[in-house]
Amino acid sequence: MFDLVDSTLFFAAYGNVFGLGNISISSFDILLAYIVAIAVAVVVALALKIPLLPSKPYRYSYDVSAIYPTPIIAIGVLSIFLVLNYTFMYNGLVLAAIIGILSALFVKYLFDFVFPKPLNEDNGEGIDE
Amino acid sequence: MNEVIGIIIAAILCWLNFVIVDTYFGLPEQPGVRGARNIGQDVERRGGDIAGGFFQGNILCSPDASAGTLLASIGYLLLGIPGGIIAAFFVFMGNRLCADPGYAGTCGSLTATVIIFVCSFIGMTPEMFIVGMVIAILTIMGIDQAKASIVLGKIAKKFNRHARE
Repeated sequence: MFDLVDSTLFFAAYGNVFGLGNISISSFDILLAYIVAIAVAVVVALALKIPLLPSKPYRYSYDVSAIYPTPIIAIGVLSIFLVLNYTFMYNGLVLAAIIGILSALFVKYLFDFVFPKPLNEDNGEGIDE
Repeated sequence: MNEVIGIIIAAILCWLNFVIVDTYFGLPEQPGVRGARNIGQDVERRGGDIAGGFFQGNILCSPDASAGTLLASIGYLLLGIPGGIIAAFFVFMGNRLCADPGYAGTCGSLTATVIIFVCSFIGMTPEMFIVGMVIAILTIMGIDQAKASIVLGKIAKKFNRHARE
């Protein structure tokens, strides 16, 4: 009876010895799709005039930038498509480019609407107050 | 690899991963979320270090690199490398929901995914990393908070991230 959890985990992890068991395209194509997604996301974000680096010190990530969180969103969404084994055409390259463009547009226009900044914008709390 | 040896190595790797990433992104410097200040001051009142207390409060109150390492291990177990990246994406959304302004959670899960991938070549499995991460969090939060906070304060001073400087 208690083998249920164990066998479920075993089934989910079955064939994942190299971490990519569920996906039908080759591992080189997967790597290429990730690189394309990151590159397209950063380039489109720069074209939309999002700054490249976040504001220093690196502690307040509500100020969006081209290297954080745009590629994180792009590769996260691309991973969800990959593990569902949906690679559109040209071994996932077109899908990667579309996701990169959409994530850059999301960060530019919708990010503040979906994830609004917290009410006190004083960068956390100071120590001596 | 023998399971016990693997779990010990995984615990050490996870401990180093989340302490280094969290300290680098400034968790000991200030309480980033509500509630972390109270925990830090309480730990200091019990004879601990204020920077280590802020560290413990921050990893308790929002998903930082500790939760990122644990979730990346679970994602890697279920879905492989894409699972680790999905875990990083979900930790990012969790940071937003907790109003946590930091970078530590996402970067911690990505580095944990890289570490698990590299260690899979010497025969270590993601299950060992899940158990190791639970042990690593136990050493920080569970055994003796005051003494653990002193150790964390010393590490924070080495990284020039201490609260009182």
